[in-house]
Amino acid sequence: MNLEGAFLAGLPYIALASGLLIVMIGVAIRRTHFVAWSLTVLTLVATLICHFPGYEALGEGTTLTMLFYVDGVSYVFNAMFVLAAIFTAVIAYQYVQERLGYPEEFYLLLLAATFGGMMLPAATHFASLILGLEIVSISLYAMIAYPQRARGPLEAGLKYMILSGVGSTTILFGMALIYAASGSMEFMDVSPVTGSMEGDTFYLIGHAFFWSGIAFKLSLVPFHIWTPDVYQGAPAIVTGFVATVSKGAVFVVVMRYVMQSDVFSSEAITYVVFLNAAASMIVGNLLALQQKNLKRLLAYSSIAHMGYLVIALFLVSTHPGIGFETAIVYLAGYFVMTLAAFGVISVLSVHSERELATIDDITGLLWRRPILSATLIAAALSLAGIPLTMGFIAKFYLFTAGIEGKMWTLVGLLVLGSAIGIYYYLRIVFAMTSQPEGELERAPNSSWTGIGAVATLGIATVVLGVYPTPLVDLVQTLLRASGF
Amino acid sequence: MEGPLGIPLEHVLYLAITLFLIGVVGILIRRNVIFILLSLELMMNASALAFVAAGAYWQEADGQVMFMFILALAAAEVAVALGLVVQLARRFRTLDIDAASEMTG
Repeated sequence: MNLEGAFLAGLPYIALASGLLIVMIGVAIRRTHFVAWSLTVLTLVATLICHFPGYEALGEGTTLTMLFYVDGVSYVFNAMFVLAAIFTAVIAYQYVQERLGYPEEFYLLLLAATFGGMMLPAATHFASLILGLEIVSISLYAMIAYPQRARGPLEAGLKYMILSGVGSTTILFGMALIYAASGSMEFMDVSPVTGSMEGDTFYLIGHAFFWSGIAFKLSLVPFHIWTPDVYQGAPAIVTGFVATVSKGAVFVVVMRYVMQSDVFSSEAITYVVFLNAAASMIVGNLLALQQKNLKRLLAYSSIAHMGYLVIALFLVSTHPGIGFETAIVYLAGYFVMTLAAFGVISVLSVHSERELATIDDITGLLWRRPILSATLIAAALSLAGIPLTMGFIAKFYLFTAGIEGKMWTLVGLLVLGSAIGIYYYLRIVFAMTSQPEGELERAPNSSWTGIGAVATLGIATVVLGVYPTPLVDLVQTLLRASGF
Repeated sequence: MEGPLGIPLEHVLYLAITLFLIGVVGILIRRNVIFILLSLELMMNASALAFVAAGAYWQEADGQVMFMFILALAAAEVAVALGLVVQLARRFRTLDIDAASEMTG
């Protein structure tokens, strides 16, 4: 492995880290919101571009010390996280401008969280896993509690800090026990030392802790209690970031762990994960039924979606190629529709004291804000998995994957959950399209950048649903190039 | 499974598990944010202890390296957490975590 190859493979990380430093120094020299914002977007775009020369040098995959293994899969997830961060920054601009006292540091935290997120898909060692995870989480504590005057964000920030801290510590403790039992912290060599009874026991206890912590982070039932409160309290655009990048990154690193370490050869662990997934699908969908707040509804729906996604996790241990393809397509779709939904809420509530996220707030919205409403309708239909949207392609992939892996119970629950889901997603659509009573109040102006970004996401949901071939081809090429 | 000092690894791990569970119980029953943060710290240090013990057992430096990481993580976490605690104290005039619990459903 030559130095130049390693440098090129690490180029996106170097670009993002240097951009982060430049923004930090820039903010220290002179506080200008627009400059900080432009530097941030520039950094993110440069990071995205740096993936191309990096990919040329990558080959099947490049090992960067024992901590990271960079390959096409980690690059594709990096690109998704960076794109999500770009959309977050663009949509957040007006909100940050109007509502936050000190707007500049928000972008620093955004960049840091993206950096942590980018570490996770490449992690192959417990140390890099926990570092990446904590960089994401700690940046998010501050991002969630950023608005100074409102009470909701502070409550959400405190709750997220305590519960996510418990989650991280539980993961750490699990790692320590797994290390004690197996003598290695590299995913590849994690297996119980044969012949010693205690080794096996601690290996299992360690995984119980490890998986509980991961379930906290992915908000799988029964570790989901924090999700609705944090989703509701945090500023909408930050919620979008939490729902996409932080969860996506954790999921990817777990997938790599499952693939390399073969934990699912243990029946007990498999069974527990199966129960988590099944419970998430049922509980997430049932609790979403009675929500009146859009953000809480999306929180419960994200619990269900993460439950669905565990199907891909199971498949990775037996068919890594199909498992990763499913996960990439599903997460790409999930990212687009979730960011679109939270982006709409964020753009809508720029000027109001509280966030306009209840069903009443969006009643008749189509007649006041046609572009935003059309986007939210596209996102809701897509989350429900209606054909001709990205969400349908994603669900179809999971369905096929589940049949491939003969996971009949989970596939059955996936179908059942989607059926329940249609009810509460369609309620959003009906509320928005219903004819408002009385006179139309004039909608306050929102900036065109925010509306444009949100509309782009809405269009992407539909276009990728009608014509997914380029995305699927790209994913398959990358997977083949990475040796799957 | 016996370490170089003659203390069996299991004993240290049982101690670590006990410390960790004390931390969990502390988080569940305490209402004061400062005590919740202390309990969180206790859980972190329990995992640090388990890492060091395991590293000593396998005769590797990895466990101690992880200990360093955990120290840094705990410091970063507490730095942000105390910022939030100051905000809580300012806005609600209390450190009771239940005061800041308005969202339900």
